[in-house]
Amino acid sequence: MIWKRTVLLFLLTITGLAFETSVFGRATLVGAKPELLLLMVVVLGMGEGPAFGATAGFVMGLSTDLVLQLPAGVSALTFTIIGYVVGRARAQVQSPGAWLPMVMVSIATFLGVLFYAAFNRVLGERFGALSVVRAAVLAAAYNCLLTPFVFPLVRALGARLRPRPSEVGL
Amino acid sequence: MIRMFDRSKRVRWLLVILIVASLAIVTIDYRSKGNGPFERIGHVALTILSPIQHGLVTIFRPVGNFFAGFTEVPGLRARVSTLQRQVAELRAGENTVAEIERENESLRKLLGIRDRYNLNTLAAQVIGVSPSNFERTVFIDRGSRAGVKKDMPVIAGDGLVGRVIRVGASTSEILLLIDRTSAVASRVVPSGETGLLEGDGSENTKLELFNPDAKLGVGDRVVTSGYDRGLYPPGIPIGTVVSAPPAQSNLSRVVTIQPYVDFSSLDYVLLIIGQTATSSPSPSPSGTVAP
Repeated sequence: MIWKRTVLLFLLTITGLAFETSVFGRATLVGAKPELLLLMVVVLGMGEGPAFGATAGFVMGLSTDLVLQLPAGVSALTFTIIGYVVGRARAQVQSPGAWLPMVMVSIATFLGVLFYAAFNRVLGERFGALSVVRAAVLAAAYNCLLTPFVFPLVRALGARLRPRPSEVGL
Repeated sequence: MIRMFDRSKRVRWLLVILIVASLAIVTIDYRSKGNGPFERIGHVALTILSPIQHGLVTIFRPVGNFFAGFTEVPGLRARVSTLQRQVAELRAGENTVAEIERENESLRKLLGIRDRYNLNTLAAQVIGVSPSNFERTVFIDRGSRAGVKKDMPVIAGDGLVGRVIRVGASTSEILLLIDRTSAVASRVVPSGETGLLEGDGSENTKLELFNPDAKLGVGDRVVTSGYDRGLYPPGIPIGTVVSAPPAQSNLSRVVTIQPYVDFSSLDYVLLIIGQTATSSPSPSPSGTVAP
């Protein structure tokens, strides 16, 4: 079952990246693109816990880095932390409402974009503060709008291929 | 309980390992300055992605264009709801026709600009866009197998698009004029003043004139000057001056330029391989170059 999850992660990454660079590259929201892979990381972190959230974050972040001109590793770092934190935060919520995924996706995307820009700034990249905040707000809003479509699909795939306790040594 | 504690500890260790791995990748890539192992892996990733991007662009371009308009025009939803099914049917047909017309127009303009400037070119289709909100690049369906090389200038029917920054076997990446790392040596027509045109990530660009007392006004055209080590041929149209405030210092003056090219709807582009020997880019008698 673990190898099936690896395949799932690979397929989700390729599909997400292909959609991000083609369809969503053009279908912008007031000039901003969604953070589709970050959205998937949040969904996986929420459904599968911090360990898989962090792993998915690392894989999807690194894949994003490979197609960008900005320093590699920054998306991997950002997505890893987001996946872990979301997994931890989700465990603290006792009675999740239907709104929880949209709220968590919005907050995680907003903070993720800010962290990504801040870390790149440390590496010498020049981003205007206003354009960073604008991108973070719009990407969070866009991801929030996509959540009702992406969340059930990714969540169902993750749950279906969840390993049995015996397979993870529990 | 002990098992839960163990598991929690293992998860924390996993997080530490992944963070250290990410930081190691950042360090390696930062030190290699674009020539490291991750650049090469990136080429492979782009080659894997390109057929999927190509397929998705073919299927979703009309939908994407429609959706782009939908998200950018407030109030469109209200109009659509009043017209209901009849409009939906018409739109399906219109999208197809409009898409073909737009494609024809784009190709016609490309042929026009190629002939006007006597350029040896290679045509390519845009198959992808950078997923980042902080980067303005596009991916095309031509790579080293088709003869694409790094730093080749790229134009569209309306003018300069940018230059090639990464070449894979069957795909390449183009840095758009409006990216914040782009810089093009430019000249204002008709005054002849020169400067450096830089992107800032928005739809407009900034032209830093070398002469702070330069006389120019809104509506003046900007073309490539050809001064940047021959990277861009001279005379290629870039855009028009939309704002020309007075100089803020005695050293330079910055004006805002709106590019001729609509970067949000790039379909086809031409990569400039060279110019025919018979002529150089020929501005009109007035010295201006029409897009």
